Amino acid sequence: MRERHNWGWPIACYLFLGGLGGGMIIVSGLADLILMKGELFCLGGLVGGIAIAVGSSLLVFELGRPLQFWRVFSTQRAIMTIGAWMLSLAIFTSFAYFSFWPGFFPWRDFTTLRHLFAGANAVLGFGVCLYTGILLGSLRARTFWNTPILPVLFLVSALSTGIAAQSLLSGMWPAGLTHDRVVGLQALDPVLVIFEVTILFIYVLMMRFSSTSLAARVAQRWLTGSRKWQFWGLVTVGLFAPVVLYVLHSDAVPSLAQALILLGGLVLRFLIVYADDRTELPGEGEYYARLPEPEAPFLTAWE
Amino acid sequence: MTRYAMIMDTRRCIGCHSCTVACKVNNELPVDMIYNPVYTEGPNGVFPNLHMTFYPLICMHCENPPCVGCCPTGASQQSDDGIVWVDSRKCIGCKACIQACPYRARQSNRKTGTVQKCDFCKDRVREGLEPFCVETCHQRARFFGDLADPKDAALALLNCTHSVQLLPELNTNPQVYYIISAGDEG
Repeated sequence: MRERHNWGWPIACYLFLGGLGGGMIIVSGLADLILMKGELFCLGGLVGGIAIAVGSSLLVFELGRPLQFWRVFSTQRAIMTIGAWMLSLAIFTSFAYFSFWPGFFPWRDFTTLRHLFAGANAVLGFGVCLYTGILLGSLRARTFWNTPILPVLFLVSALSTGIAAQSLLSGMWPAGLTHDRVVGLQALDPVLVIFEVTILFIYVLMMRFSSTSLAARVAQRWLTGSRKWQFWGLVTVGLFAPVVLYVLHSDAVPSLAQALILLGGLVLRFLIVYADDRTELPGEGEYYARLPEPEAPFLTAWE
Repeated sequence: MTRYAMIMDTRRCIGCHSCTVACKVNNELPVDMIYNPVYTEGPNGVFPNLHMTFYPLICMHCENPPCVGCCPTGASQQSDDGIVWVDSRKCIGCKACIQACPYRARQSNRKTGTVQKCDFCKDRVREGLEPFCVETCHQRARFFGDLADPKDAALALLNCTHSVQLLPELNTNPQVYYIISAGDEG
């Protein structure tokens, strides 16, 4: 009986969608407050809200008792509780913010209220991007996660995917609206991706030379072992290629750079979620290797 | 104050797995769940100088349990007497505590969706009885006691032998101690 990954693909997809949505609502909030160009990125409020909502429902779906999910809002101080509050509030504020734009709600002209929601989006989006890395990084048992660099990596990846998605959406609605601010935002994206490559490089390198043999083994698995295609695919296709496309101003395939950044963000979350190795105690591996899998026919026959 | 703890004397343990069975039967655990495995380390060495050590594992009932702070619902909790346990009515099965535990002491029940673990047989020990695993150990390799009580036999044993904790570097201060014979250390 192998130790299974306790958290699987729903969590990886959530980490991607939560980061994406958080990044998008940061952009739409700051665009309205600082650039005074809220209409350029207002669609991100809607799509970002949907991304966070879909990600959060994946979290609920992954629970052992999904109908009891409301208990996370109890009065604990766990990181997960704080995260659940921020996710719920961010879903509300992002949809509320978007409702100012279509023009058929009576409150569309209350600009101060809209700015309030824009500010809330920026703050909550930042919280949503940041807390997941802290949640995983706080688990002492999981050596590869328990580093201060993981929240930084998640935050930068969330921002770069959020900006990529925002620049994909730009001009879609309100239709035909283009502006040099969008170009300015797109110039920010390769810078963030270069940051992300650097952080990932430092992360893997420091883990490769970690004092814990387990962390070194996981890093080795990424660099040359069973995860090498995912890892090097992420580095080349998901991180380097978009930077090159941005730098060359290549329009051969429109939006290819942004799509690759999104793909890279997703692959990164899968790599991290499946790097949940725990230091084995003496004899543990041999003990569980002799036990049957829970689905073994002679075990399920009892049920 | 009470501070329940367990001491495993690996010099006496013969690896019979009676504790595993006693725990599983008396706590009526599902067929695929074990609170109390016994790991075998070795045999190590070169013939004829060989040795083998058995490590009975349970929840370490850490003084500083990583599985309690991460629980978003308060289901995973620590009592005043040091026992770490899960209130299954409050557990939503997010598995954060399984991820947090360095000792693989927690398992998800596939039928109920909640997380289960060793609770030092808390209903028994609060009535003055011993946990099932201690009661059944015919080699007297397991001792259960209250380390806050100066007259406790387990404390006396701990004070006059050389014992180790598992993964002490994780700052959990596990309250299960392993007495090891010289040569097995590390």
